[in-house]
Amino acid sequence: MPWTLDIAHPFSPHAGAPAGAGVTAPRALEVRRHRLHNGLTLLHLADASAPIVSYQTWLRVGSRHELPGQTGMAHLFEHLMFNQTRAHPAGEFDLLIERTGGDTNAATWVDWTYYRDSVPERDLPTVVELEADRLENLVLESAQLESEREVVANERMQRVDDDIDGFADEELMRLAFRVHPYRWPTIGWMEDIRSMSLDQVRRFYRTFYAPNNATLVVVGAVGEAELLELVERRYGHLGPASIPEVAAPEEPAQDGERRARFTKPTAAARLLQGYRAVGQGHPDWPVLSFLAALLTSGPSSRLYRRLVVEREMATHVDCDVAPFRDPALLRIVVHLTREHTAEEAEAEIADVIGRLATAPVSEEELEKVRSVVETDFWAELEGMDGRAEALGHFETTLGDFRRLFDTAAALVRVSAEDVQRAVRSYLVPQRRSTVIIDPDPAALSGDGDDGEVEA
Amino acid sequence: MTTRLHVEPSFAGPLCWFTAGVPAGAVLDPEGLEGFTRHAAELARRGAGDLDRAALDEAIDRLGATIDLEVDRDWIALSATCLERNLDRAVELAAAILRAPQMSEREHGILQRETQHELDDVRDDDASLVERHFQRLCAPGHPYGRTVIGTAGSIARFEAAAAARHHEALWSGERLTVGVAGPISPARADELAGALSAAVAGRPPAPPPALDVPPAPQGRRIYVVDKPQRTQCQLVLGHLAPPYGSDDFVALMPVETAFGGMFSARLMQEIRVKRGWSYGASCRMLRSRAPHWFRISLAPTREVAVDALALTLELYERLAEDGITADEHELAVRHLTGGLPFSIATARQRMRLAVRHELLGLASGYPATLPDRLAALTPQAVREATARWLRPRDLCAVLVATADDVVPALERAGLAPAEIIPWDVY
Repeated sequence: MPWTLDIAHPFSPHAGAPAGAGVTAPRALEVRRHRLHNGLTLLHLADASAPIVSYQTWLRVGSRHELPGQTGMAHLFEHLMFNQTRAHPAGEFDLLIERTGGDTNAATWVDWTYYRDSVPERDLPTVVELEADRLENLVLESAQLESEREVVANERMQRVDDDIDGFADEELMRLAFRVHPYRWPTIGWMEDIRSMSLDQVRRFYRTFYAPNNATLVVVGAVGEAELLELVERRYGHLGPASIPEVAAPEEPAQDGERRARFTKPTAAARLLQGYRAVGQGHPDWPVLSFLAALLTSGPSSRLYRRLVVEREMATHVDCDVAPFRDPALLRIVVHLTREHTAEEAEAEIADVIGRLATAPVSEEELEKVRSVVETDFWAELEGMDGRAEALGHFETTLGDFRRLFDTAAALVRVSAEDVQRAVRSYLVPQRRSTVIIDPDPAALSGDGDDGEVEA
Repeated sequence: MTTRLHVEPSFAGPLCWFTAGVPAGAVLDPEGLEGFTRHAAELARRGAGDLDRAALDEAIDRLGATIDLEVDRDWIALSATCLERNLDRAVELAAAILRAPQMSEREHGILQRETQHELDDVRDDDASLVERHFQRLCAPGHPYGRTVIGTAGSIARFEAAAAARHHEALWSGERLTVGVAGPISPARADELAGALSAAVAGRPPAPPPALDVPPAPQGRRIYVVDKPQRTQCQLVLGHLAPPYGSDDFVALMPVETAFGGMFSARLMQEIRVKRGWSYGASCRMLRSRAPHWFRISLAPTREVAVDALALTLELYERLAEDGITADEHELAVRHLTGGLPFSIATARQRMRLAVRHELLGLASGYPATLPDRLAALTPQAVREATARWLRPRDLCAVLVATADDVVPALERAGLAPAEIIPWDVY
């Protein structure tokens, strides 16, 4: 048998929960992980609730695997994967998927790149053939590279250069990291996008695009025997590659707060804070994720209530902890109102954090946040694509899809002591980087807004 | 009970979703009070029954639930997500919002200020900014051209007592549509819908909104929203399209798809793939009760913005003149019919779609009829609908860009703007 089944796990964090534990068990579904002889991993979740299939290819390569001077390579390469192969001329990949009624896209982040195809169940063989083909037979020539280079440059302008939040986020990472590759943006610096060479692109493909660096995640209306046979037929002949271990340099401990300030054409300021945190595999990651929900998930959350409701200081506040393999940031983002400054928001945040550090969270509030994170967990897994994405992320980032369910279970076990310890350990000024965006007075028209512009 | 109920039982997970909506949206904003329907809806969410805003927020969050009010031009819907074990309480809270919102003066004032600040967020985002101006300028006098969120001037004129009366008038039991999805039985769903319906029972329905569509403006009108420091140009152009679900709308769906509804569509191929001018380039007919917009959007870099606009106009003229090819027609129909299962794959999607179509006045089961209607389309029918609706010489184009970068090139290309609008005045 070319395949080895090495894990079968219920699609739930509550498998084996005792009766009466207050858990509503979903219909029994099972995720099964198979390995092909060439190192290809396949995660399969059979679900016949709709006549569709989500087919995703996850590569263990992202912007953390890039070199200085070649930033943005993983993302630019993702674009090139939709071009031409030896079997299919340019444009045919999209055409064949769209002819089925399906949809295809891709995403690149720091630790991974993935390709997503959503197709009717009857068209699964088409997708398997197309995906196996481009993993092996991509045609990489100057014409394709130049066209996509312009597209990616445009994408960068749209998402970063002309977008205040994208710009601020990029600056926050650049400020917080000095040696780790998380310091550069996944889309890359513009000068690197402009200068990437064809040789470098070809080398990247040969290095990282191989069956033993990939995980297929298939969720939907397809049986196991049929799926294994299809995949083995199309991928079985591919040989494994020697994938280099890319050990990102460890970011030294931060020795004090870092700050940066910019102006942009906006009427109101922005504040971003990033606290050096832990990687997603660390036991404290669920605690920090829980803490982020406590701070900003829902209108009664502590920071939202303080900044938006009580002080009327902000229109938007958000907190999250990056789901990265290596230690990254717990990030707080605030959109100020015109009348308030970033410094005022900083003082309020410091007060909210200070209270968390000194007074334990009540059991009632813990229970509330548990309900919030449980709802969020299931909401992300509603559709086939969402399920495949969650499984693929954990399998690729942490090496085992079951970490998805472990994390969900850990989130609802977080205690008041955990929260207090995390606040005292992580939300301290010496771990903080701060980016402030101020309004550029010269960019305002001075005409004011009376809202009475006539058509 | 005249409430319509759509139930989608599903035991795929522990979440439930429910929606209650009425076919009365922002088109009912009184003259000079743009954004008033949205304000009334949002204010209703800020305290209900004996719970003030903080207590209501706390009660909803304690369930791990969300309860939000969404205001479209044609409808309003209260939508909730919660764990099944908390469903009864979530429905109680939702019913209180519909039945007895506090509509307090204090929260009214806070909400007015918040909405004024939201306008800053809209202006900060170039894609939102270009949409806001396009809505206003595409067809002056059209009820859909009025902003749903409001203007600085209109928001300042809202009054709390009037908002309370508006809420009562909007939410009528006779026009209520309810949808429930998740791990529950139809009988239980019926009980829950009854609770929501009872919350608004006995209220007389508001008069149907006036949807008088003015004649389409003639000629090309180009506007530049001048925003400094732009590396790109956000560009939207278009004009009126047929009402959602009408025969002409269905006949134009393959045209919409072939021109700008897929990656392999003409716009994407010519603008992005061949020239790399924009990350995206697409077109879409907006799904509304009355004729809304057929809109084309792209975001070219400033250096090629005018070339991209000129090429888009040329492509659109060719489309209007020659229509789509037989191959494009066949591909588009296959794409549209093959794609339907994705829009109804989950219980939540099916429920939301059913409620949405009910609120738009479409017959029950509209999506199920679509494959047959698309399959029955003849090239002649598509050509005739194309000739009736596509107007490349009578359209509105709005560019958010730095005027100094694009206006001289626009003038050289014979596309001089009718007006240059400062970015922060609307």
